[in-house]
Amino acid sequence: MFIITCPFCGERDQSEFSAGGEAHIIRPKQPTELSDDEWADFLFMRKNIKGVQFERWNHAHGCRKWFNVIRDTSNDKIHAVYKMGEKPPSD
Amino acid sequence: MLNINFPKIEKKDYPNLELNLVEPIHKLNLRGKNRDFFTKAGRILSIMLPTEPNTSATIKSISALWLSPDEWMIYGKDIDKNLMLSLDSEISKLNLGSVTDVSDQWVLINMRGKNVFEVLSKGSPFDFNKFKDTKNVTVQTLLNHVDVILHQNDTNNLDLFVRKSFSEHLWLWINDSSRSL
Ligand SMILES: [Zn+2]
Repeated sequence: MFIITCPFCGERDQSEFSAGGEAHIIRPKQPTELSDDEWADFLFMRKNIKGVQFERWNHAHGCRKWFNVIRDTSNDKIHAVYKMGEKPPSD
Repeated sequence: MLNINFPKIEKKDYPNLELNLVEPIHKLNLRGKNRDFFTKAGRILSIMLPTEPNTSATIKSISALWLSPDEWMIYGKDIDKNLMLSLDSEISKLNLGSVTDVSDQWVLINMRGKNVFEVLSKGSPFDFNKFKDTKNVTVQTLLNHVDVILHQNDTNNLDLFVRKSFSEHLWLWINDSSRSL
């Protein structure tokens, strides 16, 4: 169990949130021009790092907004939280 | 309107805790972002929609609860057909935002007394320490794994909204938890 700071509601228990997978995966501009391998790569392949990872989370049982989280998957330490469309903090 | 059957919820008294069903009562969901939306909603409801997270505003018997940066729950005994028609014609029809009647979606239970937060703390991951000493605060969280919207009007006087299909189950849980206070 850990605490996540929703950028809209503030500190809440993890059980109020749902994880939305890796962040900053850009949808190809011309999907029809991709090979099957490239499309599969976009759709399914994720880094799944043991360590610091960029993730999307949704405050499912609160404001229902999506946002980004930088989390260390090995110890659940959260390094930063930032809104959708914002650049990740540089440090 | 509002002639639906509610779950069997009757007034209950426990040590320092009183539970009541507050139905039927109108509830509206308002969504919007731009300045015109805020101005129109403010004028029709005579309430400035609160923009500070987890807060509420009440004037007369109408309350506006902050749900997210662009979403509010409006409820109260003074909401009538005229007010709903104004919101519909001046916000919804002009595409300034959305107005949805959620009266039948949510069931309103009032809890009052010193033991309100003793009961809630038994089944919620939310930290009520600051919340319980503040007036006009609101929070969306979980209670016994069920989504709830909580609104503290006054100290130890709490309005709890639960989706209708979960309301009977949550009511039984609240009563079970209150029995062992
Ligand atoms: Zn939130």
